[in-house]
Amino acid sequence: MPGNIRSVSFVWVVLVCLLYCSRLTSVGAAPICTNGQTGCHVLSLANLFDRVIQHSARMHGISSDLHSEFEQYFLPSKNQIGRVGRSCHTSTILTPNGKENAQRMAREELTEVILKLLVAWRDPLWHFHQSMAHHHDFNNFSSNKALEMNDMVHELRKGVEKVAEKMQVLGIISNSVSSLASPEVSLSSDSADKRLMKDYDLLYCFRRDSNKVQNYLKILKCRIVPDHGC
Amino acid sequence: MMKKVVEVIPLLLLLFFTTHATGKRYGPPEKPALTRCRSPEKETFTCWWEPGSDGGLPTTHALYYRKESSETVYECPDYHTAGENSCFFNKNDTSIWVNYNITVVATNALGRAFSDPVDIDVVYIVKPNPPEKLMVTVMEDKGWPFLRVSWEPPHKADTRSGWITLIYELRVKLEEENDWEMHLAGQQKMFNIFSLRSGGKYLVEVRCKPDHGFWSEWSSTSYIKVPDYFHREKSVWILITVFSTFIFLIITWLLHMNSHSLKHCILPPVPGPKIKGFDERLLKNGKSDDVFSALVVPNFPRASPSNYEDLLVEYLEVYVPEEQERILEESKDLHDGCLKSEISRSDSDSGRGSCDSHTLLMDKCGEAKEKERQADRESGRILTETQRHQKGWKEEAFTYAHAMVSPDMSGGRVKTWPSVFSPLPQYSSSPLDKQSSLKMAKQHSLSTSSFLTQPGNSPKEALGTSYWDSCLSNKQPHLLQPQTQVHRELQARSDVNISSVEHKRATEYVEVQRVNKEDMVLLQPVVSGCGRMEGMHKGEDYSKREDYSKVKGLDSDNRLLLQREVLEGDRCPCVDQEMTGDSCTSSTVCTTQKPTACIYTAMPVQEEMALAVNGYVDTATMGALPTC
Repeated sequence: MPGNIRSVSFVWVVLVCLLYCSRLTSVGAAPICTNGQTGCHVLSLANLFDRVIQHSARMHGISSDLHSEFEQYFLPSKNQIGRVGRSCHTSTILTPNGKENAQRMAREELTEVILKLLVAWRDPLWHFHQSMAHHHDFNNFSSNKALEMNDMVHELRKGVEKVAEKMQVLGIISNSVSSLASPEVSLSSDSADKRLMKDYDLLYCFRRDSNKVQNYLKILKCRIVPDHGC
Repeated sequence: MMKKVVEVIPLLLLLFFTTHATGKRYGPPEKPALTRCRSPEKETFTCWWEPGSDGGLPTTHALYYRKESSETVYECPDYHTAGENSCFFNKNDTSIWVNYNITVVATNALGRAFSDPVDIDVVYIVKPNPPEKLMVTVMEDKGWPFLRVSWEPPHKADTRSGWITLIYELRVKLEEENDWEMHLAGQQKMFNIFSLRSGGKYLVEVRCKPDHGFWSEWSSTSYIKVPDYFHREKSVWILITVFSTFIFLIITWLLHMNSHSLKHCILPPVPGPKIKGFDERLLKNGKSDDVFSALVVPNFPRASPSNYEDLLVEYLEVYVPEEQERILEESKDLHDGCLKSEISRSDSDSGRGSCDSHTLLMDKCGEAKEKERQADRESGRILTETQRHQKGWKEEAFTYAHAMVSPDMSGGRVKTWPSVFSPLPQYSSSPLDKQSSLKMAKQHSLSTSSFLTQPGNSPKEALGTSYWDSCLSNKQPHLLQPQTQVHRELQARSDVNISSVEHKRATEYVEVQRVNKEDMVLLQPVVSGCGRMEGMHKGEDYSKREDYSKVKGLDSDNRLLLQREVLEGDRCPCVDQEMTGDSCTSSTVCTTQKPTACIYTAMPVQEEMALAVNGYVDTATMGALPTC
């Protein structure tokens, strides 16, 4: 009788082990696709581009909404003259300002520009979101948008990096694209008006920069994978 | 110097006076206003302004702009390309994602006027040209036409390189209508329009818009005429109409043909009275006497039963005690009498007692009996025999087993009860006999019940059958104590004691031989006195006996009342002659000392035998016999 029990329990243990091991191996073989590994769903470059472009379009949409809200409710009197003096912190980044310029730019450069822009906006948006949450100036809807914007920049950057990676893998671009450090953004506690102005300017700048990113991505896509939609 | 001033002053005065005289005022120009700036392809843009009043003097306008991050003021490079009061910025001068600050200045001799500055970013002022090469064709999808609209983006907008992304919208309307039907086509350059009106003329237009910008103007209208496909529809409808007309006509004709039967179906005629002998016409005539005379049935209510079937005719069961039974058997066997061999069978089964009946129809016994005997021998055919017997019984019963019913019986009901009452069986019964007796009992009971299905007899019938049921059920275990079982049974049923059945008294038999024409049950005594039963009734004096063989009637308690009669003479049983069956036909008093039929009489008091007018019952055993 005890012998029976022992054998049965041994068999059970073996079975359990087998199951567990198989599961482990299956977990180990998680579908992280690298270099076209079989068994996982590989996204084509066109697909990646489409996704990224959609993402950037959404980001631009949110930024436009926020900007118009700001304009409508918080700055009834636009100080146009003051605006001229405004400059975005990303103005240091050289971006093509026309179609020819953009088309003349090399793919790597263009990709780098995109990434630079996205990187540059990571911190300011974070601060912006923080300031919004702190000062309770915006309603919840707006503050949610700000947070979303912040997340989107993150995601978009990752996406573009993936695209760049893929392009490098495919040999479309050289391996000169690298992760970049964001330019310094000065933080200072200002008066409320200044802060508001700053926020407004920030939104204005970000709206423009998101548009740039979207446009550059489209150009890249139509240049690299000129299928339908171009 | 003085001379110049002196010369100028009159000029000025002259000027002043002339202006004053004509009523015209000259002044500096009014502020112009920038109306709009538009870029058709995000590479160039144009600004238009609206000049104010010029102050009467020729004024000039100039547009100055400043780019975002520099203080340099530039003047409009091109005032003419875009028409009057416009400024065209070509590709070289246009920077996207750069804030332009534009101002228009109106200048005349007397002054200047600055317009309000406008900040623009070219990205947000894009208004493309309308789409080009709009083509509309009619195509067919499974017989139904649709419009296929296709177009091209404006040639200036560079969608190929991804610089601009355009979305399209088209609108359709019928020529004679006012409302347009809008369709958003997204980024595709082709669209299908369904649900067209046949033979209609359609107008189609298309426009486009960049993802952030303004809608273009509507393209030039494209006209298209949808061919007439209504004819096909029409032909189908014509066919349908023709067919339905046909069908309608046919249905109408059919209805007409069958109108009568339909009328019957839908409005069934009210049934008239169906009284036999009732003539409606007489009623109409109004002679009520005639009418009702027809209803009078001459023999109603019956003085005497005129029809066998109308009476509750039963056969009288005979109770046969054991020895008698045996003797009877023998005698029967000897004479091939009408006593059924069931008597022999009845010996075997104890529990059968009350249910087994010696229904004894003498006539026609031969045939039935032969069959019966054969059946009995074969156990396998018992059941079939039973059925056949049942049938036979039924037939015969109607003919033979009749009890005379006195007219003054209650309710005119015929109440003769079969005594499902067999002589007590012997204990040493053979299984075959038992079986057969069972069968016979069943048969008897069934035939009994069949008899019982007469008008006015339903309660009795139920009793009869249930009686049988109880009897049968008690069959098996009663090998040893049949008598007591039977006793109990009978007691339960009729509150009659089964008195000493074992008595070797002269239980006599009454066999229902037949029913004569006058609906009389002829009973034949099976009596030793006739030389058959030896040792049974030898000593008996048959000459003078009380005879309770007549059934007077049935009282309310379901007791058969027997008529007491004193008989004289030696009447030989007609057993001898049962085969011939002739001699006894006429005798009404063919009484024998047969065992009484088991009648549903409460017979604790034998002296209360009521006198039956017509019924024959063996009186000798009345007292002794238990009743059913």
